Amino acid sequence: MEYFNKTFCLEVKGDFACFTRPEMKVERVSYDVITPSAARAVFESIFWKPAVRWRIRKIDVLRPVKWISVRRNELGVVMSNNGGIYIDDTDNQGGLKHRQQRASLLLRDVAYRLYADLEFIPPSDRTKGCNSLAAPSEEAWEKEMLRKDENPGKYYAMFERRARKGQCFNQPYLGCREFSCEFRYVEDLSKEPEPIDETRDLGFMLYDLDFKNPQNPSPAFFRAQMNSGIIDVPDWESEEVKK
Amino acid sequence: MILQALYNYYRQKAADPESGIAPPGFEWKEIPFIIVIDMDGNFIALEDTRKGKTKRGETYLLPKSTGRSGSNSWMTSNLLWDHYGYVLGIPRGDDAKSNEMAKKQLLTFVQNVESLKEHLGKNDAVAAVALFYEKEEYKKVSSSDKWHECMKIIGCNMSFRIKDDAFLIPCSKSVRLYVESLDLNQSDEEGLGICLLTGLYGPIARIHGDTPINKDSKKIVSFQKNSGYDSYGKEQAYNAPISKIAEFAYTTALNGLLSRNSKNKVQIGDITIVFWAERQSELEQLFPSFFCFPKTDDSEVDARAVAALNDNACLSVTDGESERFCVLGLGPNAARISVRFWHESTDGEIAAAIRQHFEDIDIVRSTYDTGHYSVYWLLSAMATENKIDNIPSNMASQILRAIVTGEAYPLTMLHQTVLRIRAMRNVRRMQAGILKAYLNRSSRIHSFSEKEAISMSLDETNMRTGYLLGRLFAVLEKIQEQGVPGIHSTIRDHYYASASSTPSTVFPQLLKMKNYHLERIKVRGLRRKYENLLSEIMNRIQPDMPSGLVMEEQARFALGYYHQKSDFNKSLIIQ
Repeated sequence: MEYFNKTFCLEVKGDFACFTRPEMKVERVSYDVITPSAARAVFESIFWKPAVRWRIRKIDVLRPVKWISVRRNELGVVMSNNGGIYIDDTDNQGGLKHRQQRASLLLRDVAYRLYADLEFIPPSDRTKGCNSLAAPSEEAWEKEMLRKDENPGKYYAMFERRARKGQCFNQPYLGCREFSCEFRYVEDLSKEPEPIDETRDLGFMLYDLDFKNPQNPSPAFFRAQMNSGIIDVPDWESEEVKK
Repeated sequence: MILQALYNYYRQKAADPESGIAPPGFEWKEIPFIIVIDMDGNFIALEDTRKGKTKRGETYLLPKSTGRSGSNSWMTSNLLWDHYGYVLGIPRGDDAKSNEMAKKQLLTFVQNVESLKEHLGKNDAVAAVALFYEKEEYKKVSSSDKWHECMKIIGCNMSFRIKDDAFLIPCSKSVRLYVESLDLNQSDEEGLGICLLTGLYGPIARIHGDTPINKDSKKIVSFQKNSGYDSYGKEQAYNAPISKIAEFAYTTALNGLLSRNSKNKVQIGDITIVFWAERQSELEQLFPSFFCFPKTDDSEVDARAVAALNDNACLSVTDGESERFCVLGLGPNAARISVRFWHESTDGEIAAAIRQHFEDIDIVRSTYDTGHYSVYWLLSAMATENKIDNIPSNMASQILRAIVTGEAYPLTMLHQTVLRIRAMRNVRRMQAGILKAYLNRSSRIHSFSEKEAISMSLDETNMRTGYLLGRLFAVLEKIQEQGVPGIHSTIRDHYYASASSTPSTVFPQLLKMKNYHLERIKVRGLRRKYENLLSEIMNRIQPDMPSGLVMEEQARFALGYYHQKSDFNKSLIIQ
């Protein structure tokens, strides 16, 4: 089956954002702009299925980079692997055990235009996740027919419909769950505003995590360069992405 | 961003042989006490290197300290220098636990010396140190007459010197060559990955070096285990892969900037600001003077720096030949260092922003008023008892950011100042300057229609109710002063707070009192003058006096009061 990847464009904006730098993840400091992994999550919150994969191509920065320093109460504990937590647990002195006050350096008043390819994964290439679909029926004709109707165009149309209507699985957010954002499906680029006029080397930036080895996922980085407000995101497979 | 810039700064310094920055594997460290031994390992004396009033020890370029934390920290010791727990096996506390710990630490240290001796051979000074331990000479140190001085410093660092040698044993050539031969890329811990600063594959630092900004806050990058900072099964700094070389470079650069004699550091309240230019920049020399507490021997330094900033043509915004300039504000948070603000720009832009700030806060002052402008005074004018520790946390960093970037000042700055003025029942020059700066800048940035510009001195065309009421209040006070000369407490002492917040409840009473005061003024011309002034102001105030003033109007009240008052003392002011 012949098909092509279609590029979609979304505009997202929010009052605050925090694309936490890994080295400053305790006292959070954000990256200057949205990272490809955060952008991917925005697309996935609108539409995702095991049959598709999002690949970020380009990021337009629409507003100048502004900072704000805030103290927030966060939790010093993770939910997973220890059978749940009660966040207001107290220690023997009566203090709250899990709560910690930490400083964060956040981005303020951000807007981006995100371009991403919706890549169709043929049924044979799909990895079986833990949430694989219902077992296929035993009947021979059914086995043969299953997934025959699959066609990338169907997924493209699904995304387009959903994005245009503003539907999403969960509210998209900018880096941290508490910084939810609004999004808009961009159809006609000629009517859109220009990105900011700023050219800067943003240094190494987190691209995404490489889940090739699910036991030990490793981070991948790339050198982000902003040219007149436009950041071209290299191909995941390319040399520029350090995995 | 931050670490990247620090990494670049280190590389640029390392390329310059005169910068004196520590090469890979080394670190500048203060050693207050030195154990002097002879070549046979006999203990000779304990030497105190501390000098001067501040009692600070000499600093030496020593093999870099190794990060240690947790219950197994005794297993790592530094090379030929450390605190007395390691060097002499003397515990910090009296309890059995620290006794036990010190014994283990000493063992590690001696083992380290032994292995170094094997590497360097018998004739070296290191062999003398090994003998020092073999002969159990180290037990003699605590009976030395200087020992109680040494014990006063908790965890006092010490090292060794051979009698008649000028340098320390860890500074000797053979030790230096040995340390240089150790490759930073060698790693006995597993943990390889892509470094997020250099993009190269190599060994990753598990814990990062200390970069203390005060005695409790030591690390800028640190992750506690099992406290919600582990992700994807990666603990500690494996969460954020930074290669050992990059980790060394950024910590060394930051420690250099933070060091005691650093010219690239300013401390204001709980915030430590470090700044650096990519290459030489005039701004780098001027920068601390804008913020600092003036030194006693040179009180005019901030005023001179402001003047220099205005005169210096190099610092005007020019395209092309400008230097990158970084400003980093660090604050303590528990044991960690948190980044309060970060700004990277060209020196010209930063100079322009600072210039704009000083233009904004500038206001008429009397000839008696010292011309201090530095941010220290600005913050002190907002603080209870003028103590800079009393300002709300985070405000200082927000103000500093506003100064460096040219953004709007925080609203809390206005509130805090107005509250201070109300509590003190007086408006001082710096406070008036702060209010003017806030109002002017926020109208420049935020308001779309009417741009407000509060002038340096009395503006008779200003029609804002708050401003007019402030002027009115100043006139009423002046009349009282003239009518009842030598009065101890004026209406300002009794009514400032209520007049500036709820004018309609106070002013009728004040205007009634004014009549009595006016009658007492004997000079007719003077009386006429005040009456004219009063009616001129009163005519502009809307017939209904507002019952309450919002904070911004209260700020205008203070400004009107300050302007009018300084206008009365025209002969005493500097325009």
